[in-house]
Amino acid sequence: MTTATVLREPAVAAPRPAQPHVHVRDLTVRYAAQDPLVLDGVHLDLFPGEMVALLGASGSGKSTLMKTLTGFAPVTSGTVRVGDTDLTALRRGQLRTLRSDVGQVFQQFNLIGRLSVLTNVLTGSLHRAGAVNLLGTFRGADRRRALALLDRVGIAHKADAEARTLSGGQQQRVAIARALMQEPTLILADEPVASLDPTMSRTVLELLQSIAREEKIPVLVSLHVLPLALDHSDRIVGLRHGEIVVSGRTDELDADHLAPVYEVDAAEGEEE
Amino acid sequence: MATLEATRRRSVPPPTLDPRARERMERAFHVPRARFLVGAAAAIVIVLWSARGAEFDFLKLGEGAGSMAEFVVRMFPPDFSKMDTILLLLVETLQMAIVGTVLGAGLSLFVAFGAASTIAPAWLYYPCRWTMNVIRALPDLVIALMFVSAVGLGPFAGILAMTIGSIGSIGKIFAEAMEAVDRGPLTAMESVGASRRQVIQYGILPQALPMLTSYTLLLFEGNVRGATILGLVGAGGIGLELTTAMNRYDYGHLLAMVLCIIVLVTIIDQASAIIRKRIT
Repeated sequence: MTTATVLREPAVAAPRPAQPHVHVRDLTVRYAAQDPLVLDGVHLDLFPGEMVALLGASGSGKSTLMKTLTGFAPVTSGTVRVGDTDLTALRRGQLRTLRSDVGQVFQQFNLIGRLSVLTNVLTGSLHRAGAVNLLGTFRGADRRRALALLDRVGIAHKADAEARTLSGGQQQRVAIARALMQEPTLILADEPVASLDPTMSRTVLELLQSIAREEKIPVLVSLHVLPLALDHSDRIVGLRHGEIVVSGRTDELDADHLAPVYEVDAAEGEEE
Repeated sequence: MATLEATRRRSVPPPTLDPRARERMERAFHVPRARFLVGAAAAIVIVLWSARGAEFDFLKLGEGAGSMAEFVVRMFPPDFSKMDTILLLLVETLQMAIVGTVLGAGLSLFVAFGAASTIAPAWLYYPCRWTMNVIRALPDLVIALMFVSAVGLGPFAGILAMTIGSIGSIGKIFAEAMEAVDRGPLTAMESVGASRRQVIQYGILPQALPMLTSYTLLLFEGNVRGATILGLVGAGGIGLELTTAMNRYDYGHLLAMVLCIIVLVTIIDQASAIIRKRIT
């Protein structure tokens, strides 16, 4: 077992709300009784207004950790609280309500290619549309908000275009607008720049970071590229084999601190 | 605290390919695996058994080629003197196909929701699949006869036959088109808290729409051809006139009808191809 490298908080830390919005303690996740633990004793706090980068090799548990925050992965033991909601005590119908508060950004954007950019953004408001949109209509207020969000991500000029005609970077910005359409209290971005070129990766991460600060919501983003994490996050959490091995403020971390995250032992090497 | 030096990736020998597997893959020719040989032999035996049972005989076809040519020659020249009747019946056939396709595609879509494993629960999925299997097993002419006895002779019986027949054929394809859509956007819909109906409306249908439209056009083409057959049992369309012409040895009129059907089907096929190209 690797010992976690947890750095001290700096003496003059940026002002931060006393209460974390996401509070995870001793989280363990196992998909089936005979399977190994995917997450093992994870502690994580996410505060409003901060962007936290989640680092880890493939299979380290990053995606599972994100899924537990929306109830898409089972919690074997431990506490997972988002806002005032204890996820471990939720039923299916209540999970839908929780999910509507969590904006998600995916690696492959997950847009409906044949629908317009505007409609894709509007789908972020489906949870409050109810039966009103049975015939594919959305309220004028939602449409105005969607267009304003497209302005914000710099893609309003493509509002009427089919989503599939956009470049990868443009599609990811639409996906971010869709997440914002939910009026989320938390944004989870699972490898959002893995399919993008370096320039567009920075653009998307800058956008996410500005959203965290301006909307005062926590953004948890999983990344593979260390320089991107160091440049575009307030804190970094490193996972390895389902355990947190590094956690600290970005301005106090460097490549040496983060090395345990990507350490590969002999057994793994043989499996590759 | 861990340092970069201490945690640098340890050198491990790279995984290697088994030498025997490498040798096998490098050979230009290799003996097929046993399961392939057994499967190929079994397929040949089944085809020969079926051909024998169905009295498939190339020699017999060769011997009958002369009679076939004689029949074709007798059809010439085509007799277009009853063109007004042909056109009226063709229009009726087309109208039957249009209404049968719209009703059939609509009903098929509803049944397909129940028959798509990614949408329907098991208690709905299996009954829907069984219903489609039963309909598919019934010959179109039997379905048409059922409706002729219910609503009498005429195109209405033909339309009903087409509608029900469509559920068996196109319903299954619709269901499979909906099952095959990309899961990613559906996950995104579920993530925003969308209801099941909203996931279908905004996630599944827009993705499956090109396939659904394409198969509906295929159904329409099939229904135009099918409408010419349904007339044989009095279910409207040009089929009854075809049978009558054959029974009266009025081959010129028969050829004129066949040529008109070919023109109609070709026009529909070309129009469908243009629409398909635009939507995909």
